[in-house]
Amino acid sequence: MGEEKDLLTGLIQELRRGTLILSVLSQMGQPKYGYALVQSLEKQGIAIDPNTLYPLLRRLEKQGLLRSEWEMGESKPRKYYQRTPHGDRIYGELKKQWREMASGMERLLEEG
Amino acid sequence: MDDKDRELMRRYIYEVVRRLPRDQRGDVGLELEELIGDMADTETMEQVLTKLGDPAEFAQKYRDDSRHLIGSEYYDNYLWVLKIVLACAAASILLTSVVKGFLEGNHIFGIFADTLANLLISGTGAFGCVTLVFAVMERKKIILDFKNEKEWKVDHLRQTEAPEKTWTPKVLPPVPDKKAVISRGESLVSVIFIVLFASLLIFAPQYFGAVFKEGDGIKTIPLLNLSSWNVILPLLLLGLFAGFADEMLRLVTGCYCRTVMVSNIITNALQIFLAAIALKVFPFWNPNFISDLTEHLEKAPASKGDILLYWNTDIMTNILLAVICGIALLETGVTIYKTLRYGIKR
Repeated sequence: MGEEKDLLTGLIQELRRGTLILSVLSQMGQPKYGYALVQSLEKQGIAIDPNTLYPLLRRLEKQGLLRSEWEMGESKPRKYYQRTPHGDRIYGELKKQWREMASGMERLLEEG
Repeated sequence: MDDKDRELMRRYIYEVVRRLPRDQRGDVGLELEELIGDMADTETMEQVLTKLGDPAEFAQKYRDDSRHLIGSEYYDNYLWVLKIVLACAAASILLTSVVKGFLEGNHIFGIFADTLANLLISGTGAFGCVTLVFAVMERKKIILDFKNEKEWKVDHLRQTEAPEKTWTPKVLPPVPDKKAVISRGESLVSVIFIVLFASLLIFAPQYFGAVFKEGDGIKTIPLLNLSSWNVILPLLLLGLFAGFADEMLRLVTGCYCRTVMVSNIITNALQIFLAAIALKVFPFWNPNFISDLTEHLEKAPASKGDILLYWNTDIMTNILLAVICGIALLETGVTIYKTLRYGIKR
C-alpha cells in the first residue's frame, strides 16, 4: 500500500513539474515578489514549494524570461519579478501549446 | 522574530549560500531573508526551516548541477587556484630556463625550445595536480557531510526513518567566528611557495650549491646529491603535493574545523616522515661537494677561519630536519589552537 502511494506521489510530482514554468509565467504579467507568488498560486490550488520556486525564478531570469528589481522602500527589501517582452512572447507560445495539449489530452481521456 | 529565531535564520542562510558561487551569495542571501521573514509571519521559525528543508538540498536546486568533474560549488576556487598555479609554474620555468640558457651560453634557439618544452611539461603537470585534488574533493564532498557526525544514540534504532535522511533545524551549526575564517591570502602565499619550490627542485636542482663563472659558460657544484636525485625528488614532490592538497582543503572549507585540523595533522606528520627519509636514509648531500669546491678554489680546506672547515653533512641534516619539524609543529599547533578555540564542530 505504501509503495503504491509513493509511486502515485512521484507520478503526480512529475506531472506538476511540467506545468510549473507555465503556472509561474502566467502570474508574472504584474510585478510580484516570491512569497506573494507562492500564496497566490496556492489559492488557485497550485501548490509549489518555496525551495523550488525561488531557484526557478532565478533560472527564468537568467534565461531572459523574467526581470527582477529590488524594492527598498518598504519595511524590508523585497525582490519583485516581472515578465520581460521576450517572456511575454514565450508565455504566449507556451499557452497556445498548453491549450492544444489539453484538448488533445481531454479527447484521449474521454476514450479511455 | 526574536534573537534566537534570527540567529537560526542566519545559520540557515549561511548554510545555503556557502554552497553557491561567490557572485550569487549576496543576492540569494537577501532573497532568502525576505522569504523566511515572510513565512515566519504565520509560522514559527522551526516550522519554516523544516518546510524549506535541508540547506544542502536547497542550495543544490539553486545550482544547475549535472554531470561534471568539478561542480559549481568548487568551481570558482578551482579556477582561482588553477590560474595562480599556472602563472607561478610559467614564471619559474621562464626564469630558470632563460637564466640557465644564458649562463650556460646556449644558442638562442636551444633556449627557446627548452623553455617551450618545460612550459608544456610543467603546465600539464600543474593542471593535472590541481584538477586531481579538486576532483577528489568533489567526489568526497569532504566539507559538507556534517550530518553524519551526529552522535549515535540508541534512539536512532527506534526511529522509523533513517537518521541521516531527516534534516531538522537543530543540526544547523553556527556561522563561524571571524577568527576561525581562513583567508584566501594565506592559501595564496602557500600555493605560490609550493609551486616555485617544486619547479626549482624539478628543473634546476643543480643551482642549489656553488655557481662559478668559467670562461663562456658556468660551473656549478651542487650541494644536493644529484646522482640519487631520481629517488629523492619524488619523495620531496610527494611531500609538497600533500601540502598542496591540505591547502586546497583549507581553501574550500574556508574556516577552521575538525576536518581541517585532522587533515593538517596527517599532512604535517607525512611531511616530517618524508623529510626524515630523504635526509637520513638517502645520501641527500653531494658527497664530493667539499673536495670539488676546494679543488675549484685551489686552496687547502684548512685555511684559517674558512667556513668550509666547519662543513659537516650530519649537522646540516639535523639542523634542516629540526627546522622542518619546527615549522610543521608550529603550523599544526596554530591549527589545533584555532580549531579548538574558535572552530566549529562540523
